[in-house]
Amino acid sequence: MYPIISLSVTGLLTLFLGFSENKKIVFPASIAFLLIALATAFIDWNAPGFYFNDMLQVNNTSIVFWAILIISAILIMGFSEGFERFEFAQPAEYFAIVQFSLVGAIMMVSFKNLIMLFLGIEILSVAMYVLTGADKRNIRGNEAALKYFLMGAFATGILLFGMAMFYGATGTFNIGSGVFIGGDNSFFLWIGCTFMLIGMLFKVAAAPFHLWTPDVYEGAPTIFTAYMSTIVKTAGFVALFKVLSTTFSGLQDFWWIMIAVLVTLSLMIGNIGAVSQNSFKRLMAYSSISHAGFMLLALLGDHENALGSIMFYSVVYTLATISAFGVLMVVSKERIEKGRVYEQNDLFKGLAQNNGFLATVLIIAMLSLAGIPLTGGFWGKFFVFRDAASSGLFWVIIMAVLMSAIAIYYYFKPVLLSMSKKTSLESITINPLAKFIFAITTFGTIVLGIFPWILRSLF
Amino acid sequence: MISNLPQDFSPILVQFLLALGFVIFTIIITHVLGPRLKSKQKEDPFECGIESEGDARTPLSVRYFLIAILFVLFDVEIIFMYPWAVNFKSLGWFGFIEMLTFVAFLMAGFYYIVKKGVLDWERD
Amino acid sequence: MLIHLIILIPLAGALISLLAGKNNQSLSKNIALLGSLISLVVFIYAAIQHQAGNTELLSLNKPWLPEMNLALKFSVDGISLLLIALSQVLIPLIILSTSKIEYHKSHLLYALILVTQSALVGVFSAKDIFLFYFFFEAALVPAYFIALNWGNKESSKASFKMFIYTIFGSLIMLVALVFLYSKGQTADMDALISTAEFMPSGVQRALFWAFLLAFAIKMPLFPMHTWQPDAYTTSPTPATMLLSGLLSKMGVYGLIRIALPLSPWAAEHYSVIVIGMAVIGLIYGSIIAIKQDSIKRLIAYSSFAHMGLMAAGVFSGNIEGLQGAVFQMLAHGVNAVGLFFVAKIIFERTGSRSLSSLGGLNKTAPALSIFFMIILLGSVALPLTNGFVGEFLMLKGLFEKHQLLGIIAGLSIILGAVYMLRLFQKTMFGESNELTESVEDVSGIEKLTLAIISGLVILMGVFPNVLLKVSEPASEALLNLLAKI
Repeated sequence: MYPIISLSVTGLLTLFLGFSENKKIVFPASIAFLLIALATAFIDWNAPGFYFNDMLQVNNTSIVFWAILIISAILIMGFSEGFERFEFAQPAEYFAIVQFSLVGAIMMVSFKNLIMLFLGIEILSVAMYVLTGADKRNIRGNEAALKYFLMGAFATGILLFGMAMFYGATGTFNIGSGVFIGGDNSFFLWIGCTFMLIGMLFKVAAAPFHLWTPDVYEGAPTIFTAYMSTIVKTAGFVALFKVLSTTFSGLQDFWWIMIAVLVTLSLMIGNIGAVSQNSFKRLMAYSSISHAGFMLLALLGDHENALGSIMFYSVVYTLATISAFGVLMVVSKERIEKGRVYEQNDLFKGLAQNNGFLATVLIIAMLSLAGIPLTGGFWGKFFVFRDAASSGLFWVIIMAVLMSAIAIYYYFKPVLLSMSKKTSLESITINPLAKFIFAITTFGTIVLGIFPWILRSLF
Repeated sequence: MISNLPQDFSPILVQFLLALGFVIFTIIITHVLGPRLKSKQKEDPFECGIESEGDARTPLSVRYFLIAILFVLFDVEIIFMYPWAVNFKSLGWFGFIEMLTFVAFLMAGFYYIVKKGVLDWERD
Repeated sequence: MLIHLIILIPLAGALISLLAGKNNQSLSKNIALLGSLISLVVFIYAAIQHQAGNTELLSLNKPWLPEMNLALKFSVDGISLLLIALSQVLIPLIILSTSKIEYHKSHLLYALILVTQSALVGVFSAKDIFLFYFFFEAALVPAYFIALNWGNKESSKASFKMFIYTIFGSLIMLVALVFLYSKGQTADMDALISTAEFMPSGVQRALFWAFLLAFAIKMPLFPMHTWQPDAYTTSPTPATMLLSGLLSKMGVYGLIRIALPLSPWAAEHYSVIVIGMAVIGLIYGSIIAIKQDSIKRLIAYSSFAHMGLMAAGVFSGNIEGLQGAVFQMLAHGVNAVGLFFVAKIIFERTGSRSLSSLGGLNKTAPALSIFFMIILLGSVALPLTNGFVGEFLMLKGLFEKHQLLGIIAGLSIILGAVYMLRLFQKTMFGESNELTESVEDVSGIEKLTLAIISGLVILMGVFPNVLLKVSEPASEALLNLLAKI
């Protein structure tokens, strides 16, 4: 509960900090604010309870997710240190929006009432629309923001419609097992379930609601691409899980096959689409679609394990994604073409010769995304496979496995390029904070690859 | 008790069909009944008899939009004030403090806007 | 409780070599060599104790993911023991073989070799199916990066092909393992084996083919071999040695440890088909090897042929075939490393790998040609060399299983002699030309390495019983298990 209050207040404070003479204070202050929010998150540890007329539910599980979200935000925002670039022309506003968006994400992982879910999704999404267009002079960024906004608004409308149908059928907005299901109102419940799923699957970029993903990922400034591919996804999947495992658990026969088809579609579109991408950000966008498919696999299994699998998967995915986008940010600012940073795959050509540290970070991130053992990504995939296996859905697993083999092909494109002998870059400067973040994400990926129970035992 | 059987929603369906029917009916009937005359004068945009010039899509100052959106923002806040005023007595001090907090947030936003110079019409 | 030490010592060596040996090849090499030798010494002590009956030393059982019932379970039987011994012996030899050339970022190379070593020990001793899978994949990654980083442009392509192929196979195997796990709610290999015979035949068929695909790609077995000649030919020699000498053995070991006991009915049911595939590969590989001009490619195809015979031996379903396959794994590991080492020496001295441009090396490099002869005879399976015991046993076993296929497989001995002797004749005999005239003979560490390998070839040929006895109980246990079906 406290992080919501803390972040709302510190977000406002950040806005006013922007008026001070010394602009440099905004960055350390924002990081400090996020750390305060992280500290306040643990006030409720081991003190589960309900807040705001039982509309929000706090327990240790939700606190773990708050911590994951806030720590991811800190890691991503760390890359903005020392950037004097366009997207930080107005640093105070962006840091404030990030803090506000975290409020939305926190509401999404701890809601007890669909109104709160809707508010959380909206707070997070509106913030993301703004951040996508953060680089005002980049026409691609503007296009991306508008696309994201229009399609996101439709998705929200559909979500709201679904909630209304749910209310019509049950007479309550509260999620929980006590909901009456079946009988005459089941038709409206089905519509409500389908529409709510569509609204939320849009946010996590699952096919066939993925069409915005590549353009938005490419157009947005890289730091916010990293933000939306990690935090929105984590929060979105937890929200999806909460809705499906509580209210709609009685409708499992209905949505189960739907999710299975969506998994197959997401995996196919994500992985096959990524193969031919030349832009690293588009590649990561398609990879994000395919990872949405993998995370949906966990929802097919029994619900006792699914939350742990989703948590583990989102953590390893977040770590690897931050590494990958971080390397892209650090390297791409060395190569400006036509006033824009260069973000094609061949940017990484010869990176290993040039800067072994960055190349190692990139390679480990890619191995983890591809799910090779010794990295956390392997266990992430393993856990979701196991969950899906417990439901006996072997055709989906075989499909997922085939697609993982394809994934290796495109994840290795940057790896192979970085290993090539010729280099197109001069020396690359990394500031110490970025180096520190890379060390954390890479080390975390490896440690989780060898000792996965560190995280699993939290659940 | 909320009645939530499907047939209870049937008035909505009837209204929906009526609305749709009316729209389709009007669209078709205007085409059938309306006389059709075409000339240069008739297709010209009409403005108080003055001859039109230039493109219709002239850029407006973004300040108009800013002011408009700010008006909406601050105007809509009234919907919180009104129910509070009606229930002032029953809500008591709790309601008063809640409203003070709300107004404080609102004023923070207002102060921010002023500081940003959004209301500064002359600034360039 | 030494098994984790044997796995961890190379890892520690890798770390030290990575940190201390930066930009200093000889230092990093010595650290790596020391690491692998300490691991070897610990292993020898443990192995002697193990044979004396103290099996506790080489086993470990610690919870890994307790709530999911996964354990860090290691234990070793005769077959595992021999294969661990093979990797422990070959890794120092591979490290020794790198001494002559300069490698850039050598500390990384040695670290990767040592990581492969610990992964191999893990594969050969894991008793938890997911632990096995984990190490099975983990062994491939460093070998791939060696091929990628120290090879040329072609090798990055070829090794990538290998990587995709093998990962694909392993992922299919992972599905099968996840299936077994979700049925049995345990990942313990022994527990799964004891229930495997009750699996319905349809399930066993699917499991068997999933396992076979993974291991056939790894070995490689016909027709999943297309990655192999390119990868062996273009990769830098340390990577080729790792792939042919050690990683391919993981495939055969997987057949013995996973495919046979976990889908016993299907393994018996399809054994003739698999043997047929293996024999096709055996003859096909041998015939192609005869026509090769590149030394490395020739050895690659011969290696492919030998792997086929090993698969046939495993599936022959009798003690001779199985024991022969186990023995041949060791012999082939030693011989392949030796042959690739000789190919590397020839290439370094003359700059050519082409048979048509070489010749007359026996005059300028007599010591090399003697060592080459010994290793090559081992490969040809001459009596009193290591190759003979394994091939003889396997062919005998195969003949008992299926006469016709046994006879066809027997042809491979003749074909093997043809291509191997052609290799020797084209390189060592004949007129020397400007490439081969001024070749230095082997000396120093090279000579030592070659002497160790040649010594192993002869010792294993003369005293095969020492090794065969080690693996006999384990082989018999496996066959008893299969006989119950």
